[in-house]
Amino acid sequence: MDTTKIIDSRGAACPGPITDLARAYRNSKVGDILELWATDKGVRADTQAWATKTGNEILDVKEDPEKIVVKIKINKR
Amino acid sequence: MTMKKVLIIGGGGGGLILANHLDTNEYDVTVVDKSDQHFYQPWFLYVAFKGSKRKISKPIGELIKPGVNFVKDEISTINLDEKKAYGSRKGIYDYDYIAIATGTVPDPDVIPGLRQVYEEYGDYHTNVWNSEKLWSHVSKFKGGTIAIGQASPTCKCPPSLLEGAFLLEEHLRKVGLKDKTRIVFFTPFPRAYPAEPMNKVVEPMVRERGIEVMPFFDVDTIDVQNKTITSLEGDSLKYDLPIVVPPCRGTKIKIIPETVQDEDRFIKADKKYMKIAGYDDAFAIGDCNTLPTSKTGVTAHLEAMAVSEIIQGRYAEFNGRINCPFDTAYGKATFVIADYNNPVAPYPPTRVKHMMKMTMARIYWMTLMGTADPIFEQFFKFTRPEKLNKKYATSE
Repeated sequence: MDTTKIIDSRGAACPGPITDLARAYRNSKVGDILELWATDKGVRADTQAWATKTGNEILDVKEDPEKIVVKIKINKR
Repeated sequence: MTMKKVLIIGGGGGGLILANHLDTNEYDVTVVDKSDQHFYQPWFLYVAFKGSKRKISKPIGELIKPGVNFVKDEISTINLDEKKAYGSRKGIYDYDYIAIATGTVPDPDVIPGLRQVYEEYGDYHTNVWNSEKLWSHVSKFKGGTIAIGQASPTCKCPPSLLEGAFLLEEHLRKVGLKDKTRIVFFTPFPRAYPAEPMNKVVEPMVRERGIEVMPFFDVDTIDVQNKTITSLEGDSLKYDLPIVVPPCRGTKIKIIPETVQDEDRFIKADKKYMKIAGYDDAFAIGDCNTLPTSKTGVTAHLEAMAVSEIIQGRYAEFNGRINCPFDTAYGKATFVIADYNNPVAPYPPTRVKHMMKMTMARIYWMTLMGTADPIFEQFFKFTRPEKLNKKYATSE
């Protein structure tokens, strides 16, 4: 069964949310859904660049007053 | 009335600063570490790339104030429910409060081929002997491709990775090997420096100095026979000299319940009070915890200061402040400054900041004792990230 894993990177500015995403990627498998929570504004561009590079897919980006939520599907591992 | 027992596991920066800030008339404070030596870790860089012979260790016994106990022992298990820690040599320690400040453990075995590279070439992160080993290779290097970087995103001290590349370039230029060498800096991040505002400051220097950057390069395997590093993202890099900082993990100690640790053995603690999830009498300080901040000396320092207040019944919280010195070589440096509410400021490198970094290395021992606290307070006040961002951040 596919799993959704929440990665809470709120407050992380340096090295930033991409650290937690890359860590989760190492432990993930094809079909997993990763949900990255961040407050760092750079997360949109960085996750997009990361997904393009790694061949994974951004399903959705949502922003509420407290966080930015990026939903990623692991297609390649 | 019997004194409350505070047990501190780990005699690094976080552990000693906590111990030295507790009132020993009120608390029975014990520090336990498997080693009786404390190292000034930021200097590993200068051992590895400048061959520095400076003495960077002191016995822990000389770094604690009178009244604090130090025991050399290796803790194997901590039971948070029974409030007991089990030593391998000297028995069982019970406590009223526990602070775990055990730092990180390098883990070269998680990447095929890395153990061999690590043992042969050393690195500039893990200990002084590995730095000396790396200097023996760097100082004998005659030209070719040097692959330098961190194997995985879980790493201490974010600036130090690029500091290594900068100091390496300076060394090679000085000895006339620059034209015969290709320096390739690989990084799991999207750019040379992970935080974008600081990348804007240092990226032009990286380019100017001819350091090639391979972004999104998370090491998957190292083929030692063919001298090739391959990334999870599918790129490969051939080297003559590999300088690979291994991934790190949390504590080796078995903690009960094990649910307080994540899959890499870092201890889950809340980001303001450093309390271990579910416990009011147990804290995790510094590199060993899961706080969403850099793994660096200053965070361990500020977390320890906050925990000392909390244990002594006063309100305090950690605001996520980082203040990482960043040597950009050729006598200049900057600081990476941010907190939970403010992004990294694009603080430009100067000679004065380099002097500050070097002064910090000299007064480090005072900072452990708490005698440099007033200097820090002033510095932190004048370099608040919101202030720096106002001054240096240009509008997008």
